[in-house]
Amino acid sequence: MPRSLRGALCLSFACAAAFGLAACGGDDSSDSAGSSTTGGTAATDAGGKAGGTIKTAYTSFPDYLDPALSYTQEGWQSLWTVYTPLLTYKHADGAEGATVVPGLAEAMPDISADGKTYTLKLRSGLKYSDDKAVKASDFEHSIKRVLNLESGGASFYSGIVGAEKYIKDGKAQADISGIVTDDATGDITIELLKPDGRFPYILTMVFASLVPGDTPFKNMTKDPPAGVGPYKFENVRINRGYDLVKIPDFAVTDQQVGKLDKIEVEIIKNRRRQTQDTIQNKIDYMNDPPAPDQLRDVRAQYTDKRYKEFVTNSTYYYFLNHKVAPFDKPEVRQAVNFAVDKRSLARLFGGLLEPGCNFLPPGMKGYEKVDPCPWGDPTAAPDVEKAKALIKSAGVEGDAVTVFGNDEPESKSLAEYLSDVLNDIGLKAKPRIVEGSVYFATIGNQKTKAQAGFANWFQDFPHPGNFFFLVDGKSIQDTNNQNFGNVDVPEINAIFNKADQNADIDAVAGEYARADKLLVEGAHVVPYGHRKLTVFYSERMDFDNCTVWHPVYNLDFTNLCLK
Amino acid sequence: MSIADSSVQPDLSPVVNDGGQAEAEAAPGLSPWASAVRRLRRNKAALIFGALFILLVALALAAPLWAQIADTTPAKNHLSDTIVVNGKSEQVVTFDGVPIAPTWQTKFFLGADQNGRDVAVRLLYGARNSLFIGLTAAIITAFLAVLLGTLAGYFRGWTDAVISRSLDIMWAFPVLLLGVALGVSLALGGLKIGPIQIQGGSLWIPTLIIGVVSVVYLARPIRGQVLSLREKEFVEAARAQGAGPIRIMFGELLPNLASTILVFFPLLVANSILLEAALSFLGAGVQPPEPSWGTMLSDGVVLLSTAPHLTIVPGLMLVLTVLSLNVFGDGVRDALDPRAKVRLEH
Repeated sequence: MPRSLRGALCLSFACAAAFGLAACGGDDSSDSAGSSTTGGTAATDAGGKAGGTIKTAYTSFPDYLDPALSYTQEGWQSLWTVYTPLLTYKHADGAEGATVVPGLAEAMPDISADGKTYTLKLRSGLKYSDDKAVKASDFEHSIKRVLNLESGGASFYSGIVGAEKYIKDGKAQADISGIVTDDATGDITIELLKPDGRFPYILTMVFASLVPGDTPFKNMTKDPPAGVGPYKFENVRINRGYDLVKIPDFAVTDQQVGKLDKIEVEIIKNRRRQTQDTIQNKIDYMNDPPAPDQLRDVRAQYTDKRYKEFVTNSTYYYFLNHKVAPFDKPEVRQAVNFAVDKRSLARLFGGLLEPGCNFLPPGMKGYEKVDPCPWGDPTAAPDVEKAKALIKSAGVEGDAVTVFGNDEPESKSLAEYLSDVLNDIGLKAKPRIVEGSVYFATIGNQKTKAQAGFANWFQDFPHPGNFFFLVDGKSIQDTNNQNFGNVDVPEINAIFNKADQNADIDAVAGEYARADKLLVEGAHVVPYGHRKLTVFYSERMDFDNCTVWHPVYNLDFTNLCLK
Repeated sequence: MSIADSSVQPDLSPVVNDGGQAEAEAAPGLSPWASAVRRLRRNKAALIFGALFILLVALALAAPLWAQIADTTPAKNHLSDTIVVNGKSEQVVTFDGVPIAPTWQTKFFLGADQNGRDVAVRLLYGARNSLFIGLTAAIITAFLAVLLGTLAGYFRGWTDAVISRSLDIMWAFPVLLLGVALGVSLALGGLKIGPIQIQGGSLWIPTLIIGVVSVVYLARPIRGQVLSLREKEFVEAARAQGAGPIRIMFGELLPNLASTILVFFPLLVANSILLEAALSFLGAGVQPPEPSWGTMLSDGVVLLSTAPHLTIVPGLMLVLTVLSLNVFGDGVRDALDPRAKVRLEH
């Protein structure tokens, strides 16, 4: 199943922003997990007081409150507090938070020499929030639900032996031959079709969270299944809200315990009202950035007291289709890179964009700043004259170009901006705005022959491979293509082929950095920045001690606390 | 030679003016049309708003001139530019994304939008697009409505049944939803009917959509009037003289429909401009890079409190244009047929 572009799910900036997942990498000794018994030593954060109830505001209800199905940041932010996969991340910010650590598994997996077999052992004595015992076979059941329910995350697990057959047969209770579990010992063995260095990260995804073996094969949003985590869902009111209620006796070794007793999530569609309510302390935290016309005031009055911006692991870029004139010529792609003013683009985001030259975001393992940027300093004026000269030398002056964008306010403005830039340098461009829900399918269809346009990506997990598939030659397909520019550079492809198979990300980080540099220097795409997201609290919240911006799940709910 | 019918020709009977006072209008020797013009000239409100509409048209025609003075184009982005206002250097768009307010000087006279484009220039070019669509769509509507209404009313029977039921089906759809559905589906792929091909971003797409979806509002009254006219003596006389259906429809009936069409036309233009703005606001009308008051309103909504000029300016223009057309249209109606109660109702 083709993976959906997370940004494509957005209906508004609020939702688009919500997909932001940040930071990556880091060294941590946490692959030596402790014992796995309920009642063991759970991790607690030193700062902030415990207890109390807060009210948070989301612009829209999460897509699902079912770990097998949710594929939005709103969903994952809450689900991560309720469910724990075999592997997970520390509840920390920066590089520490992006390091994979054992979750419900006792330790990091043993990986066979050929990289295709992963062996894990379930911690003993684990219990779900409904007091049922956790069994190793629940893992297979959880993956079956992801595959059977045609979840947006199904493609992540299609590399497991037998997964494709399971999907094809359509029998929910059938076996996935590549997953072998033993409830008595807690052993779990996963066999892959081919080595995949990203697989440990795939096991950390919310999709792979364990749910009881009798959880039905249907969307459980109305009555979410029991999980193993510091909170549980209560009072779910579809499209109106839900509560996260602390499980008082939750104690799994090394796993974070929640500080607040209850987190009430309320859906307030109007971001202006959310902002106003937060200013007036009626809401304690708003998930989306303040409304654009309120941002300036919020920044001025509350920065570093109640408000803060964070750069996410995301990339915003223009794709230039290598297979369609005039962008089949390297000089034309170079000209566009020279002409785009990244300072201007940051303004289109109301300042919520960190201008950059790299394709990989700064928080990602393998990021090495391309410095000096071959197309000019991202924070300085562009070299339009050079761009004009390149267009002239390429002999494409006056060539018609259609710049694609969708009807989200920023995407539309970005398409209009690029169209203007292309006209400035001698091409004849016009924007074409496509309805948001079909945008990525439209530009991802080779028949559209989309020449250039808006694209973005927010990470699914902090691994460079989760970005580079967007420019990997082997990703190119006729429909649902996500390599919108049809970038197919043998030298870069070879790097991806080799690095993607290696589970030791530190060993291949340099290779990814080299690929990133080749991508930028070859002007294969026009990356221009990385999205920022925000935290905005009421006065009641302990801003200094309890704000942990997790690189994958954004604001960490388990660390939130009141003053 | 057509035979006039007093019930649909410009009326010579006493007029009830705005104040409700009866006014003897019958002037011996004046033709019905001259009499109608006389009535219109006495309606000061209609004349003032008619003049306002002409002024708006003149401003729209002057758009390229103003763009030259302001040294920009409607699509030109000035995101990182600075200009001098009252001796102070100001950013066209701040780092926070807030565009400059009206400067009341040649550059950015009415401020900038979030892409740093000159609002005044876009407003005038938007006026050209709105007026082009409004007028052209109204012409298309009038043509189709007269054709269908006349055919249905004259032939009656199955012709009437097919046309009337088709119009009923159209009537059953909320016009805005129908327009959005057509606009969104045609915006990408364009329209191809036989040898005629229209690109997706062309102004002709919303023009045709609006022209077609509005047909029902005029076709029904036309049909009703033709049903009545076809029984009149002058039609009987023409038929007795051997005139065929085509000659009767276009030679006898059509001249008698002129006043109705004239009364409806300004209202149709106003309605088309409003519908265009609504469709563009929803992204199904005028497509970028062409400016439109509807898209300007839509773009401005997100910055309502920090840059209210982005919504106030195109909103005001829309109100003035539609108001001027409606008041002038009412004046034309009063002049042509003071007893008629013509309204476009959705």
